[in-house]
Amino acid sequence: MTDRTIQGQGRALCAKGLKKNYGSQQVLRDLDLTIEPGHIYGLIGRNGAGKTTLLSILTGQNTKNGGEVTYGGEPVWENPRALGDLCFARELNPSSEVAALKVEEYLLAAKLFCPRWDAAYAGTLLKKFGLDTKKRISKLSKGQMSMVTITAALASRAPVTILDEPAAGLDVVMRERFYRLLLDDYAETGRTFVISTHIIEEAAGVFERVIVLDEGRIIADAPTEELVDRFRYVSGSAAAVDKALADGPAPLQVQMVGAHKMAAIQGDGALFERLAADPDLTLEGMSLQNVFVALCGHGDEEG
Amino acid sequence: MKGMLNDQALIYQQIAQLLEDGILRGEYAEDSQVPSTNELARAFNINPATAAKGINRLVDEGLLYKRRGIGMFVAPGALEQLRTQRRQAFARQQVRALVREAKRLDITQEQLLKLVADEAGKEELL
Repeated sequence: MTDRTIQGQGRALCAKGLKKNYGSQQVLRDLDLTIEPGHIYGLIGRNGAGKTTLLSILTGQNTKNGGEVTYGGEPVWENPRALGDLCFARELNPSSEVAALKVEEYLLAAKLFCPRWDAAYAGTLLKKFGLDTKKRISKLSKGQMSMVTITAALASRAPVTILDEPAAGLDVVMRERFYRLLLDDYAETGRTFVISTHIIEEAAGVFERVIVLDEGRIIADAPTEELVDRFRYVSGSAAAVDKALADGPAPLQVQMVGAHKMAAIQGDGALFERLAADPDLTLEGMSLQNVFVALCGHGDEEG
Repeated sequence: MKGMLNDQALIYQQIAQLLEDGILRGEYAEDSQVPSTNELARAFNINPATAAKGINRLVDEGLLYKRRGIGMFVAPGALEQLRTQRRQAFARQQVRALVREAKRLDITQEQLLKLVADEAGKEELL
């Protein structure tokens, strides 16, 4: 039923002390990360957080200014043995270097970099997506470009497959279909996936672990539900909320409506039990998207 | 997308609750098989590890047991055990919420009890 033996071979992809600058701008700041084999990871972060830079360095497609990236203990950079196991399906756009290529030419190029390329699977996916392989990438819609990215990623059969914004431009039906294809492939092969996305909520159930990147640093790296369960909204009269939180924790985010106050907090079971027992307060769970906003929404509050 | 699941509670807990509800309603009789991790993952488009966590919670609580190489089955006595658990949770959560709301509305204890008695009469509780 499931064949988990051929893929992965149990090798982890690791970054240690990773640094990257573009000119004077620090994009990645002393970043440590381990991608363990056999899981689906979600990478979330705001625009400019450094997601694409991180993913391209992890797969040896971009230089770094410090630190190291290893796969199964071996450096990734210019190491064909490691690179053959890693697939990075970039987000495509009309100004990509490859935009002048026809879809079939792009996939042919992808095949050269992927020793495990599955042409039959690629054909099935192209048919499913109704993609015209004679068309140039620059002539495709944003959603169709994502379909090309998804096809290249899934057909690579790479033990570690990384997708950058595969959901961009896809409508909700196609996004659902994509996550189904991904989960079917994962159930069959158990290979490692890392997926960056802006459309968080509907992907939350797909990600076993989630990595939150903020201003070039990883601020959370945990099993998705474990992370979400560390957060709550506590609400009530401003006086009641302030009194309950007087000894901490400091709210991550506060919203006032008249005399009613809602605060996003991070804590543990004991704290949440204490707050839930207070009849003047309401305690509610947060979604991954809410948690993300509470963690990364700093610096540019409206008003 | 998660079908019937919502984002108000952890997904693995919703999976566990879904199976519990099925047992309580008699959809899964004692010693009958419940859906597998992969079936649940597919049905709700969720990570199989999350579905497995929901199933494992019920295994830990003694509501499900594993038959090696076949799948997960409803344990004997699971229905009664679940009823007991749910009754305790009912007292802790629903009744407490009801009383708190009554307090906010200045409903007296006597009035509240009468309201409950009336509703119970309509539903023909024993």
